Formats: sequence, C-alpha cells, structure tokens
Amino acid sequence: MKTCIACGMPMKEASDFASEDTSKDYCVHCARPDGSMQSFEERKANMINFIIKTQGFDEKVATKIAESNMKKLPAWKAYFNKQSANMSR
Amino acid sequence: MKSKRQIQKENTKIKIFETAYKIYSEYGFTATTAMIAKEAGVSHGTIFVHFSSVNELLTCLIESFGADLALEIHDLTEKNDSIKKLLETHLNILSKHENFYIHLISEKSLLPEDVRMTLVNIQFNFAFHFNRIIEGEIQNHTVKSIPVYMVFNTWIGLIHYYLLNKDLFSPDEPLLKRYSLELIATLLELIKK
Repeated sequence: MKTCIACGMPMKEASDFASEDTSKDYCVHCARPDGSMQSFEERKANMINFIIKTQGFDEKVATKIAESNMKKLPAWKAYFNKQSANMSR
Repeated sequence: MKSKRQIQKENTKIKIFETAYKIYSEYGFTATTAMIAKEAGVSHGTIFVHFSSVNELLTCLIESFGADLALEIHDLTEKNDSIKKLLETHLNILSKHENFYIHLISEKSLLPEDVRMTLVNIQFNFAFHFNRIIEGEIQNHTVKSIPVYMVFNTWIGLIHYYLLNKDLFSPDEPLLKRYSLELIATLLELIKK
C-alpha cells in the first residue's frame, strides 16, 4: 500500500489519490485544484490551519507540530536538509 | 533467505521491544533500561545494539501504538462510518494499551521533546479522522454545529480525566472496559441533534 509522500496518509482506494490517479505519490488532500502537488509553504499553512481547526492549539505550537510532522515525510526531507545546511554555514 | 544469526538477532529485538512495552506499562517511564534487560534476559549493552538510544526505543514503542490506532481508524473513515463507531474503535485500541497509554499521558513531561512529538503526531492523525467524520455528521444534521476542536477536546478531556484518575474510578479492573459504553453514550448525548 502506498502512503502519501506529502502527508503520510495511507492511500488504498483510487479516491485517496490526487485526481484519482493511482500512479501519483501524493493524496487528494495534498493536491491543488489542478491536481499538482502543493508547495512546501502551501502544505505547511494548510497543516497549521488544520491543527488549529481540529485541536484548537496555539498557532506557534501548531507551526512546530506541522514542521515536525513534515520533517519525517519524503516530499519535504530535502527542504529541511537544505535549511539545516544553510544554518550551519 | 535469512541466516540463523539474522533470525536470532530479529528475535532478540522483538523480545526487547515487547519487554520494554511490558515494563513501561507496569512501572511507567522512570523504569530503567537495566530493568528491561534483566526481564528480557539480555545484557544491558544488547539493548543498545538494537536501539541506538532510549529515545529511539521509546519512539518505536509509541509509533507502534500509533500505527495500531491509525490503521483501524483509517479503514473506518474510508467507510464513512458514524462518530459512534469511531469512538468505539478509539476506546477499543486504547483499551488494548490502557496501562501504557495512562503512563504516556500522565508522565508526558518526563519524556524528551522528540518522543513527546511522536505522541502529538498520533493525536494529530486521530484528529484528522475525527474531523472528517464529525464534519460529515454536521453536514447531515446528525451532530450539532459545534467547532470540531471543541468536540475533539471534550472527548479527549473526558477520557483522559477518567484514565488519569483510574485509581478513583476503577482501581481493580481495566477502566475502559468498565466505562467505555457510558463515556461514548455521554459524548453522543452532548453532541447529537
């Protein structure tokens, strides 16, 4: 079973995939209306809003959770590696 | 094919994992790796051959509990099941891990931040499915229009209060086995139209 590279959701049915295309590696929730994958910033903002909406957490905390969650996902790993490389310069 | 040595190595890892789960469930997270090693019948150093640190061992244990919950809940959401079924499944999984979960929530502050984050991610995942089902029910006018986070926090608050006070509510038997039906019925009574 595939899991979404951008949010980790298990994708079983065609309806779980972006544009119902089972060859895609990302899910329907991580796709833009045109079917392409959301950018890092879009995904992060969506995740922060989602955490606030579903659990009511403080925005700063929600941001931290979103980042920690995204760090573990294949779609965003490179982004964090790049960030830490820049920081160590 | 795996060699005998590889199989033995995997079995030792499983043994450490299962023993750690048992020890932490019984004594909480102040339990030492020396206790785990003794109970598993391995040397102290063997634990760190399989897990690079205590944090890694803890993260693996919590992730395994999270995976158990995630799998059952995901199947349920896909079938567009009711909020009642979701709550039943939630408590069913928590019930399987009751002692471990009580230590997790009561000793959260003792855990290192990255391990705590694993727990937060499990809750985040559950909130994702909770939201989908609650939104569906609000749209169908079967649940009152209350902010999702308030319904979620009322539920988590309720069950955590009971779990954290197990000594008062159910000192001699598993708590969720005793109170699940009443807790679910109460939340539904509060939110249903």
